[in-house]
Amino acid sequence: MAMKFSNQDKKDLDKFIKFLAQKSVQLIVQSRLGEKVSTPCKPHSTGTDWFNLNIIDLPDVLFETKRVLNGEVLSTCLPLCVEISLRTAEGDQMVLETWSFGILPERCDWSPRIVNTVYNRMTIMLKSLASVTRVLPAYKLSRKQGEDTFVICYRIYMDEPQIHCLGEGYKCVRVAQLYTPVGLLMLSVAYRTKMTISPTHTDRDSIMLKSDHFNTNLSPKNGRYDDTRGPDNTVPSTLSVAKEGQLACRNVTKLGPDNPVPSTPSLAKEGHLPCRYDTNEDKITSLSDTMKKIGAFADCKKKDFESELIIPNAPFSRLFTVSKASPKSVEENDLMENAINDCRTTVDSVEETKESERLTEEPEIEPKTVSNGNSKQERGSKLEALTMVSTNDDFIMVDLRTPFGSVTENSELGRFYREWQAAPPLQAFIDLPPLEEVDVSKQLENFETEANEYNTVLQSLCQSPNNN
Amino acid sequence: MNARSQVFELTVEGRQADEAVASIFHTVLLHRSLGKFFYNNEGSYSIGTLGYTDVDCDFIDLTYVCCSSASLDEMLKKEISCFSEQLRGNEGTGMGQITLEFFQKKPSRWLFQPECIPWEVWTVRLELITLNNEGQRQVCREKVGELLTDKILYITEVMNRHEYVPKMPSHSELGLIFDSSFPDVQPYLFKVNYSVAGPAAGSSVGSSVKKLIRETLLL
Repeated sequence: MAMKFSNQDKKDLDKFIKFLAQKSVQLIVQSRLGEKVSTPCKPHSTGTDWFNLNIIDLPDVLFETKRVLNGEVLSTCLPLCVEISLRTAEGDQMVLETWSFGILPERCDWSPRIVNTVYNRMTIMLKSLASVTRVLPAYKLSRKQGEDTFVICYRIYMDEPQIHCLGEGYKCVRVAQLYTPVGLLMLSVAYRTKMTISPTHTDRDSIMLKSDHFNTNLSPKNGRYDDTRGPDNTVPSTLSVAKEGQLACRNVTKLGPDNPVPSTPSLAKEGHLPCRYDTNEDKITSLSDTMKKIGAFADCKKKDFESELIIPNAPFSRLFTVSKASPKSVEENDLMENAINDCRTTVDSVEETKESERLTEEPEIEPKTVSNGNSKQERGSKLEALTMVSTNDDFIMVDLRTPFGSVTENSELGRFYREWQAAPPLQAFIDLPPLEEVDVSKQLENFETEANEYNTVLQSLCQSPNNN
Repeated sequence: MNARSQVFELTVEGRQADEAVASIFHTVLLHRSLGKFFYNNEGSYSIGTLGYTDVDCDFIDLTYVCCSSASLDEMLKKEISCFSEQLRGNEGTGMGQITLEFFQKKPSRWLFQPECIPWEVWTVRLELITLNNEGQRQVCREKVGELLTDKILYITEVMNRHEYVPKMPSHSELGLIFDSSFPDVQPYLFKVNYSVAGPAAGSSVGSSVKKLIRETLLL
């Protein structure tokens, strides 16, 4: 049975809806403040006690609601939404729930005495809202919030509810509904059920530093070294880029309702993955090429050489290590052996090379060109298997194949080298007693006493005719 | 007139019984209570403002909202604890039910007592379980919290249906619709009944009948 809906009724109804919206927002936001709420009953209602419910108006929330509503009655097109989100101390953000309060215009109720009924039913709507806010997962979280862990934030907007940022498996609950002459008032909430938060703020952890290791600008092969920029400067620059991205994302989430959960820097890193891989390969190549190009001031901890590319214990190779006069040569040899045993350490080696590059930029650049020139030659022979690398100072040649000798010549060359490394002693000195057993003073006395004999021998030698 | 009836069945630990029932009944009563009515001389009336309070459960992971009325809470607690004591007592089978019944009175005629007509009944059937360790208790604490969450959501759904509630009365008829005995709130007339031997047991019927007779005589 339809009845005439007067202008006064319409005006009253608009007012009710407006205050219902305001009180709803207050209830929602206050329920997420992390404190238990208790408001007393009052025998006489005052001006702000709409719907006979003692819902305190927080000025900030009221201001924000009014600002979003912009003095207009709730629109039939767009609902009023309250977004509740969680923000960690590190700045990560996650939307927990989106409350929406809207009107469906196609469903109208023109029954008599509508205004009073609507008012009473709006009271019930708010009571239901109060009850529902306490049983959703976000309520428990809000009670646990703290400055050093996470805080709960809210955002009010007038738009279609942004439920896509609630993650997978979100749930919707229709909190309350009410038929009115202007349409069906709908109060509903969509809330997140999966509370796993992925870290998005990584400017202080090692992951970001690691991504810097694969910065193409730092690849020595690219030859893009900027001498004016110290190696230390490169790290903060990468961080600053990431930071800016995050801040931008955060602002978007906070201000722009059209944007979902901020894209994480880890995703951005994944976007660089192919690039990272190329750079990595470059590094390996240049490293393996430059086995001997460890700079004078560089860290000698290079354990990442490709086994195929390690130069064997060729003749005179020790001269190189001796010339470097490195006290760490033994350690270096150990590291080289490790590299042969486990070639998978190449990734770590890239990092270490990076460190050495940072320490000595100049010495690295020069060998880089050298290595590039030699790489082809060395790669030509790198398939020749090496089975032994000496690990101590004594030269041991086992199954060695020198790059410039054939298989048969190899043994001759090795023997030749061994002969020259340790030349055979003269026969005359074979029977000499050890040095420790000789008394020098006594020997000198003997020499002095026998000096005349020596002189005569010498004179006879001088006076003898030259037979040759 | 047939009363609407809602039945909730829950399996809880003994110490959770009070809070489980209270969370449901308080949520219902929040929706079925108004501020106090104050009538003026012209016959019009003003309605007081209803406050609300968050209540954290001790043995269940749940917070519910109730009216800010100590007297209403006390009255409800008393009824619930009587039920709980019997339910947890040695004689009981660990099963029982408690109902929150809203009714209205019809004006009395001459010698007869006014007739009580229930219009909405909320029933909570409980089955008690015994848990052996804290791990199980923790699981049960969360599980019952989730179950009650569903019940509370259902209550709000029912409350927002366009279904019968008694009309706002005139001053003289206020006592036929509302319970005006509380100083700060004015719920619809309600009463709490309970039985502890299980809904199908004969003794519960007997006790219910006894209780019914007793209440009728009291009225």
